[in-house]
Amino acid sequence: MDRRESIKNILLGSIGSSVLLESCVSLDKEVLDKIWEYQYGRTPEEKERDEKFLNSKFFNENELKTIEKIANIILPPNEIGNINDAGVVEMFEFIAKDWSTPAHNNYGEKVLRRGVIVFDQLCTEKFGLKLLDCSESQIKLLFDEISYEDKSLKDQKESVKLFATFRGMVVTGYFTSEIGIKDLGYKGNTPNVWDGVPNDVLEQYKGIVSYDKEWIDKCIDQSKRGEIAEWDEEGNLLT
Amino acid sequence: MEIINNSKEYDVIVVGSGAGGGMATKILSDAGLKIAVVEAGPYFDPANPDQMTQLKWPWESPRRGSGTTRAFGDFHMSYGDWEVDGEPYTVEKDTSFRWWRSRMLGGRTNHWGRISLRFGPKDFKSKDYDGLGENWPISYDDIKPYYDKLDKLIGVFGTKENIFNEPDGFFLPPPKPRLHELFYIKGARKSGVTVIPSRLSILTKRINNTRGVCFYCGQCDRSCSAYADFSSSSCYVIPSLKGGMVDLYTNSMVIEVKTDKNGRATGVSYINKDNGREYSIKGKVVVLAASACSSARILLNSKSKAHPNGLGNSSNLIGKYLHDTTGAGRTVFIPDLINRKTYNEDGVGGMHVYSPWWLDNKKLDFPRGYHIEIGRSFTMPEYGFGYNPNEFNKFFGLKVGGYGDKLRQDVKKYYGSTIGLSGRGEAIPREDNYCEIDPNTKDKWGVPVLKFRYKWSDYELKQAKHMHDTFEELAYNMGGIALGNKPTKEQKYGISAPGEIIHEVGTTRMGDDPYKSVVNKYERLHDVDNVFVVDAGPFVSQADKNPTWTIMALSWRTSEYIIDQLKKQNI
Ligand SMILES: Cc1cc2nc3c(=O)[nH]c(=O)nc-3n(C[C@H](O)[C@H](O)[C@H](O)COP(=O)(O)OP(=O)(O)OC[C@H]3O[C@@H](n4cnc5c(N)ncnc54)[C@H](O)[C@@H]3O)c2cc1C
Ligand code: SF4
Repeated sequence: MDRRESIKNILLGSIGSSVLLESCVSLDKEVLDKIWEYQYGRTPEEKERDEKFLNSKFFNENELKTIEKIANIILPPNEIGNINDAGVVEMFEFIAKDWSTPAHNNYGEKVLRRGVIVFDQLCTEKFGLKLLDCSESQIKLLFDEISYEDKSLKDQKESVKLFATFRGMVVTGYFTSEIGIKDLGYKGNTPNVWDGVPNDVLEQYKGIVSYDKEWIDKCIDQSKRGEIAEWDEEGNLLT
Repeated sequence: MEIINNSKEYDVIVVGSGAGGGMATKILSDAGLKIAVVEAGPYFDPANPDQMTQLKWPWESPRRGSGTTRAFGDFHMSYGDWEVDGEPYTVEKDTSFRWWRSRMLGGRTNHWGRISLRFGPKDFKSKDYDGLGENWPISYDDIKPYYDKLDKLIGVFGTKENIFNEPDGFFLPPPKPRLHELFYIKGARKSGVTVIPSRLSILTKRINNTRGVCFYCGQCDRSCSAYADFSSSSCYVIPSLKGGMVDLYTNSMVIEVKTDKNGRATGVSYINKDNGREYSIKGKVVVLAASACSSARILLNSKSKAHPNGLGNSSNLIGKYLHDTTGAGRTVFIPDLINRKTYNEDGVGGMHVYSPWWLDNKKLDFPRGYHIEIGRSFTMPEYGFGYNPNEFNKFFGLKVGGYGDKLRQDVKKYYGSTIGLSGRGEAIPREDNYCEIDPNTKDKWGVPVLKFRYKWSDYELKQAKHMHDTFEELAYNMGGIALGNKPTKEQKYGISAPGEIIHEVGTTRMGDDPYKSVVNKYERLHDVDNVFVVDAGPFVSQADKNPTWTIMALSWRTSEYIIDQLKKQNI
């Protein structure tokens, strides 16, 4: 039935996307694998853009390590996974290139790379060490200072703004990954039959909100969803 | 440039394959007419795995779905948005207009919200009620049979409510409300705001053996591979191609309607975007459905001895009376919704409940009404999720910001705790809001582009103000907090820029008087008997509803008229 139909479609999706991209046969395996990872219905122009960025480098190793370290402190590893499993650093790398145009105010250079430089400078001022050489507790001392806005200021300090941006990117990157979504508990994006808020949840909201019978009686009887609709002349559903 | 002529003559050439064009293609080809569909964008099939984005996860995009190449995000099914490469438009100083264009088979119907509302009896005759604007030359009774047929052919869920200006139809049963929608229902009832199940063209139940039934992924904006939501591609054009009466020309951008020395249409010319060359094809009838502004552009660019002003423009009204729906929105934080248990609440790709216009304007300081759409946040994360992860801490006297496991906990705590409210209202059409040809700017094919001039009047601004007053009352009665400050007069009460609600209509308006309108009540140009416009151009006024169900009902009616006229050899 529909369920099977849609699952068939999903399968078709993965077969369709396993067709080798002609334009990347000449690329090395690592890049190829990356491109294989991202099959999400692109137009030829979009595909070309993705391939170009996946096949070039923006940050150097040191910068990437710095971002990784920062990200791991913003969202520390837990039993579900960590920043690396979530591909957060790869996302920084990609977006730095994706948004490196004047239209994006050179976000990659002016915000992301700038962040690494500023956090490094602050660590050097405070501890005489680059961020990467600082201990976690040293970095936390710094973050305690820059991770809250100063309400008395109209315009926040650059370091505070940059931290807010990095935090936003890390949280977004983590919670849009497979493990992040698991951590969050989001349960959808899969074929199902919606038949109302589950009873245990309704129970929780008793006295606050509830279904009223008159409304529910008008709603779809999911056992009849497969029967072809027919109406009388007044528009009353017969099936 | 040399034009390459195709010697074949079609009964009808349909320009554009969105809501209006797809509808016409189906009806005309079902009647055995030979049709050419000329579409500016590429072929698109929601079930094509290479084009599909439905059920993809955010991590399947290296930018996690952010909107770099598609304005509404990587997974949104639109090729083209506020900008189309190489095809600019201009806007007159101190005015604004934003023009959304989707270039693909099926046009905007591949990603539209599926809100499928009939206009009511009042909506066709609003001048009778407040003296503003113009009445339509047709009434609800003229269009009702087509709404009825459309409901049965395409499928729309909803409920019989017996509200005078919100006519009922042939409905499929709606899905049950989600949790946040129960909060909305509660707040609306306390506020005296009508609230009913929404009306969307999504199949909660089977309507035939070729389309699937909704499996509740909540992603109609990505286009449904099971064809369980309405798209012109999946429901009209692709099935029509199988009938053998339709030739589809994709990547083919129509430039003008060709006419003979008597001024009658003989066909169209178009640019093949793959090779940049110009072609022409012949047809007995030309049906324009390139969307309200694109069709106006084609007509204005179709200048000839017989039509020096542009085709069908003896009234000088093509492009005039352009109007879009008004919009204002507010997010509401519901403390009762923090720390939610998680479960699959995707539901259909749109709201399950909404509020149609509920007030009497006699007691208000603005004309016409608005409806309220309800948005949600208990959804699949995409890029942008979790920026400002704990700003609601401020409501509990807790610190905003920080990092570490506490931050992670805050993200989970507030996930799904907000509700979006959007007002969508009716503007008064004005002759001095318009699009016209900009003689100084050309697109990359060398075709003159449109220039817009649009300003809201006090009517619309007051409506937006009323929306925010209502949102605050609703928020309070839901037990929530309306976020941000109420926009001030200087901030134009937070009204959307013209065009932003993407319901642009009125550029070739319909009427009985050829001096005051561009097309007649069958959407035929007053000036030429074989050119029709079946997008939202002919709308006299855009009601407090979304336009598409009416575009299609009118297009169906016009198509039947064309069939009849061809049969009688009148055209
Ligand atoms: C995000 C979004 C949500 C929406 N939600 C709703 C909703 O819930 N309910 C509702 O009623 N409406 C909604 N709308 C509006 C709805 O999509 C439009 O009203 C409807 O699609 C208009 O139909 P149309 O046929 O006039 O134009 P379109 O659907 O835009 O189709 C026009 C077609 O013509 C083609 N074309 C343009 N120029 C040329 C040319 N020169 N030559 C050849 N082809 C050309 C285009 O490529 C396109 O395929 C929404 C729109 C958007 C963008
Ligand atoms: S919500 Fe239903 S109709 Fe919409 S795309 Fe998902 S399965 Fe299809």
